[in-house]
Formats: sequence, structure tokens, C-alpha cells
Amino acid sequence: MSEPAPIVLVVDDEIQIRRFLRTGFELNGFVVHEAGTGAEAIRTATLRPIDLAIVDLGLPDMDGADVVERIRSWSSVPIIVLSVRSTEAQKVHLLELGADDYVVKPFGMAELLARVRVALRRQMRAVSGEPTVKAGPLTIDLAARAVLLNDKRLTLTPKEYRLLQVLAQHAGNVVTHQHLLKEVWGSIHVHDTHYLRIFVRKLRQKIEPHPDTPKILVTELGVGYRLVQSGAEGEAGAWSESTQAKSES
Amino acid sequence: MYPSAPRQTRVAGRILPLTDSTTSLAMNNVTVLNPVRKQLPAIFFTLTLVAALTAILFFLVWEIGLAHGSIVYLIPVVIAATRWGIVPALVAAVCGVFASAYFFYPPAYSFRVKDPQEVIDLILFIFVAVAVSQLANRLKRQLEMARQREIDLRDLYAFSRRLAVAFDVSDIHAAIEDHLASIMQRNVVLFASAREASDSSGRRAGMTVPERVLTEVVEVASGRHDAVGGAIVTAESGEIWLVRAVSPKSLEFGVIAINLGHESKERSDELRIRVDAVLADATATLERLGVAHAISEARMRSQTDQLREALIGSVSHELRTPLASILGAATVLSAAPALRQEKKLTALVHDVRDEAERLNNDIQNLLDATRISSDGIKPHVEWADPGDIINSAVERCRHGLADRRIVIDVPPDLPLIHVDPILIQQALVQIFDNAVKYSESGSQIKVAVRTQDGRLNINVTDNGAGLTTTEAAKIWDRFARGERHAATTSGSGLGLWIASAFIGANDGKVSATSEGPGLGTTLSIELPVSQDALPQLESGADE
Repeated sequence: MSEPAPIVLVVDDEIQIRRFLRTGFELNGFVVHEAGTGAEAIRTATLRPIDLAIVDLGLPDMDGADVVERIRSWSSVPIIVLSVRSTEAQKVHLLELGADDYVVKPFGMAELLARVRVALRRQMRAVSGEPTVKAGPLTIDLAARAVLLNDKRLTLTPKEYRLLQVLAQHAGNVVTHQHLLKEVWGSIHVHDTHYLRIFVRKLRQKIEPHPDTPKILVTELGVGYRLVQSGAEGEAGAWSESTQAKSES
Repeated sequence: MYPSAPRQTRVAGRILPLTDSTTSLAMNNVTVLNPVRKQLPAIFFTLTLVAALTAILFFLVWEIGLAHGSIVYLIPVVIAATRWGIVPALVAAVCGVFASAYFFYPPAYSFRVKDPQEVIDLILFIFVAVAVSQLANRLKRQLEMARQREIDLRDLYAFSRRLAVAFDVSDIHAAIEDHLASIMQRNVVLFASAREASDSSGRRAGMTVPERVLTEVVEVASGRHDAVGGAIVTAESGEIWLVRAVSPKSLEFGVIAINLGHESKERSDELRIRVDAVLADATATLERLGVAHAISEARMRSQTDQLREALIGSVSHELRTPLASILGAATVLSAAPALRQEKKLTALVHDVRDEAERLNNDIQNLLDATRISSDGIKPHVEWADPGDIINSAVERCRHGLADRRIVIDVPPDLPLIHVDPILIQQALVQIFDNAVKYSESGSQIKVAVRTQDGRLNINVTDNGAGLTTTEAAKIWDRFARGERHAATTSGSGLGLWIASAFIGANDGKVSATSEGPGLGTTLSIELPVSQDALPQLESGADE
């Protein structure tokens, strides 16, 4: 690797989990720091440079959500939350606190790695100020406010573009319904999920090769939407590495 | 003394049937000491009546030669006595006597009278006025009492009914609060405990409880401050609040704060006595209705609920945490370069992974089953796209559906449905699992969506083992396991039962059809589509 190895902070009180995460990450060229408590996690995140944090929700000394909030208060480092059992409302809450993504335990290493790479790529883009986002055949040029599908320029309504823009700014990560509604239609519409459903459908008709089985603008049921970037391996599916179930329509 | 404010008279009236000596006294005071000013319209009507009667009588005496009609003046006396009370009746009596003396007794047009009849008339009129007005007054009061008793009974009945359906402590406290507010005709805030008072920022039921009052409530509720008689607190705004325990005997019923408004010291003392009377009665009622028992029972019930939740939570956590390690480690191992060459070892690692995954699904099913049995499914409904639900269910089952050909037939422009998308997705996952379990590897599983008559149908069809008629009838039952497959397929028989419960929680229905054994199965979900209820986009939503 020409670039320096990314450093990941693993926060979990279970030593077995930390051990397999360490092995899994190291096999994939990451440098791993471990923390078994929330306090230790916050200390490590303050003192050592890290590129990403994996935070378990059930920590012995404090709630994982508090760790997310504390780290987020001074750092924009990507945070992925691990939780054993979470309702969709909890996921939304975590994302609003500043977590970039979540993975529900039990999970496979491939799934976690896919999420980690997406988060790292987004962070790099944010740092470099890269103005274009690619998602499969779709290119969104945030600087020129242009959307290209297979290099052909698409005509979008202002709201459709705004929706795609917000998703592109968080490309690869879930964006909650509330966040999208607030950004696109304003705070008074944060509970009007049907707005999103209708506009996402219109948008998919324009940007998806097969709008019935979307692969670019995908739904995270009960939570929000995700713009799936090209090259994000496996689209973070189940824990198997090679399974594929393509649907025909 | 209870002068003009109508609100207080009503409060006094409301207390009356609660049989208290001080209060019935108060009622008498109200009637006797009604200011004469308030009776002026009644007196005016009485005078008009007497004048009109005099005119008619005068005409009759003149035309027909009626001897004299002084007795007729009893009519206004009786009318005034029954309708307006003793003062107008006496006015009518005196005026009647004077009018008959002036107009009808000789010498006419003079108040001087020779006949002693005149004096007797006056005595008779006054007697009738007093007697009739007293009678009428008593009748009126009895009527008022009866009406009041009826209202109170109705209140009490409503209160006891609310208690009967009250599910937890807060329901019971809300009922007590409303009951007291309706008896007292004042703003009443009830705090169940010191903690509730200190936690609340003072805003309760649309009104703000001042800081000082809250502090006092905390003192009383924690038993530090004995306030059996109630403590008077003057809020920052100058309003006077009374804070006391609902029951002098126990703090179980909570502590109330009553807004007495801007009242003078003496008045608020009077009100405080009245509050005591009402509360003594209310507590007796509460005790009679077994509220204390109900409260402790509700506490127990919520504790049982909490215990079960905690148990489910901890089982879920305790079982899944090791599973997460097993599964995670297995996936790391299976991708490890060192193991790639070792085919047999790789196969073993895959077995570990698959079995751990199965165990995880079984735990999830058990948890879902517990949730359903404890009646705990609360759908979080939102407007959802049926296509999204189906796609994400297929995505969730990707691993299991890997070697099946999935055909998705979703027409464009499906209506949005108002459901809990997660529950529908989980039900679909169960149905897919079932289809995979009872069909051959490599066979086709078809998911088709159709709308018809305001319903949306999701049909999942496999080319598998099919169903006999008895199997089709029992397939959605709990622990239903096909006897034909008992030896070859594993499972708990919970999956489809969970699916049907999740669909039921969304007002939907499930059904199963099959051409027969070996001819495939179609499992269908039917969901309501209420397009009328879909809120319209505001104009300009797309600008």
C-alpha cells in the first residue's frame, strides 16, 4: 500500500469481539487500537490519531451513544456503531447523534469492512473537497450542479436535485428520513415521509436502470436512504463474501 | 359570607351533597343574604304584576260590578313567592293590600279603611307570602340537591369507570386529578411522587406550576414537610396555591397543588377549609373504590412488564454476544489467506458460520414469539413503498435465497401503504425462509404484487412440496409443523405464526393456497390500501 495504513479504533467490552475485529482488520491492512471502556475510548480518540472508530453500544462504564456524542463534539472522524439489538428508532437516534453508520450484531467481517471503506472514502472526499460523486452509471457534480447518467445530462426538478445532492454529500452512508425531509422541504415537513416516497420514486425513474429493483438509491427500511457508490464491494449485504442473488424482473 | 362571585356559590353547591354541616350552613347563608340589589328585577316584575292586576280588577268592578277582589291579589303573592322568593312576595303582599285599600275598599281612592277586613287581608297575604316562598324555596333546594347528587353520582360513576379501565398508576392519578378538579372547580395538579415533581419542569396539563409551589410539593411528597392541613404558597406571580397530600393517611394517592387564584388571606383560609372537606370526602371515595389497591396492583403489573422486558433484553444480549464473536471469527477465518488452500478446513469454517447464523435466526424467532405472546407488537406506521419492503426483504434473505431463482413482479405506480414496514419485511423474510425450506435448490420463487378492491396482495409462490388441505388450514398456527416433512426439515414451527401475527398487527391478513402436494405453494399477504388517507403534497412541494 502506497498510502499509510488507515488506523481504526475498536471500542467493545468483549475481548473476543475485539480479537476477531483486530485480526480481520489487520488481515486487510489496517492498524488497530483497542478500547474496552468508554472512558478509554475517549482518551484514545483524543490522544492518538485515528481514521475511524467502531463503537459498541453496550459499554460497561457509559452508553455507547454518549461516546459517539463526545467524540463527535470535537472530531469529524467517521464512527460506525455496533449494537446487539436495535430498533429502527434507535438507529435513527444514533445517526442523529453523529454516527456515520451502524452494523447490527451478529455481523460478518465483509459487511463491516464494506461499511468502513465507504466511511473512509467519504471522509477523504470531504477532506480533499472532491466535487463529484459517482454511483454506478450516475455521476453527480456537486460544484456544477449537474447529474449525468452514462455521461448524458439528466433534467431534474429543483427538489429532485436537492434530494440527490443531500444523498450525494453523504454518499455511501444512510441519511435518515428526518434529515432528508428537513434539508429538502424544511423543518415543518420532517414527518411527511410520503413526500420522500413519492420523490424517491420519481428520482429512481430517472436515475436507476431498473427502478423496480434500485441499486443506486437504496432504501434502508424504517431509517432512511443510502446512495450506493460504485466500487463499494458487496453493497454490504449478509456476512457471506461471495453470495449473490440477482433478481430478474 | 359568600357574596356575588357565582363561581364560589357553585363550589358551595357542589359540596352540599357530600353531607357536611359547615357546607349546608353555607348554602343557607347564600339564599338569605342574597343582596337586595340582585332582587331588583324580581321586585320590578312583581310591581308590574300588581299594577296589571289592579287595572284588570278596576275594569271588572267598573263594568260588571264585582263587589271587591282583594283576594285576587293572592295571585301575584303566590307567583312572586314561588318564582323569586320571600322579598318580592312580601312586596307583592303589601302592594296588593294597599292597592285594594286604595281602589276597592270604601272610601275609594283613599288609603283609609273602615273595614277590619283590610287588616285581616294584610295578615293573610303576608302569611301566604312567607309560607309559599319557604315552601318553594325548600322545593327548589331539594331539586337543586337532587340534581347535584345526580351530577356527583355521574362524576363518581365516571371516576370509578376510569379507575376500572386504568392500566397503570399514571392513569389512576390522572383520574384522581380530573375528579378533584371537577369537584373543586379549580385548576388541580396532582403529583404522584416527589420525583415526578422534581423531574417535571413545572409544565403540566397545559398550565405552569410555579417554582415555589413545586419545591413545596417535593417537600410534602417526600414526607419531609407534614402538610396534612395543607400549605399555602404564594407564587412569584402573586397567585395563591394550596399544596397538600391527597390523603392525610398516606402519600400513596399523591400530592395536589390547587390554584386558588388571587385571593385575600381570609378568603384563601376559607377555601382551604372547603378543600379539606372535599378532600376528606374524596379520599373516603378513593378508599371505598379500592384505589390504593389498584395503584399497588398497577405498580406490580408494570414491574412484571419491566421484568419481562429486562429478561427478553438480557436473553437477547447474553445469547447474541457470544454468537457475534463466533460468527465474526468464522467470517474472518473463512477469508483468511492461510485457510484458503485448505478446502476441508474452509468447509468446516463455513459450517460454523452457517450454524451460528441459524442459531441467530432461532433466537430472533424466540424473541419475536415472546413479543407477540406478551401482546407487545406496537406497529410504527408510516407511508411506505411496497416495492421497497419487498426489495429489502429479498436483500435480507440474500444468503438463504442464493441458489433460488427469484422473480419479482412489482407493477409500477403501486399505491403507498400505511404500515410498519419493518414488520411487513420481517413477515416476508419468514415466508421466504419457508419457501426455501420446502423447495428444491435451483427452483424458482416468485414474488408478485397485485392491487384489488382497495387491498394490496403480496403473493410468494414456490414450486416446492405444496400443501394438503389440512396443512393449508394449519400452516399459520403456532408450532405447526408439516408431518410429511417432520423427519427431513428442521424448524420450530414459529416462523409463519410470527409472520401472521406481524401482518395482523398491520390490519392485514395472510392466506395459503396450493394445487396440492408436490405442486408448489402460494403464501399471500393482504394489506389495506387507504389512498383517501394519504395526505396530499402541498402545492409547491416540487419547487
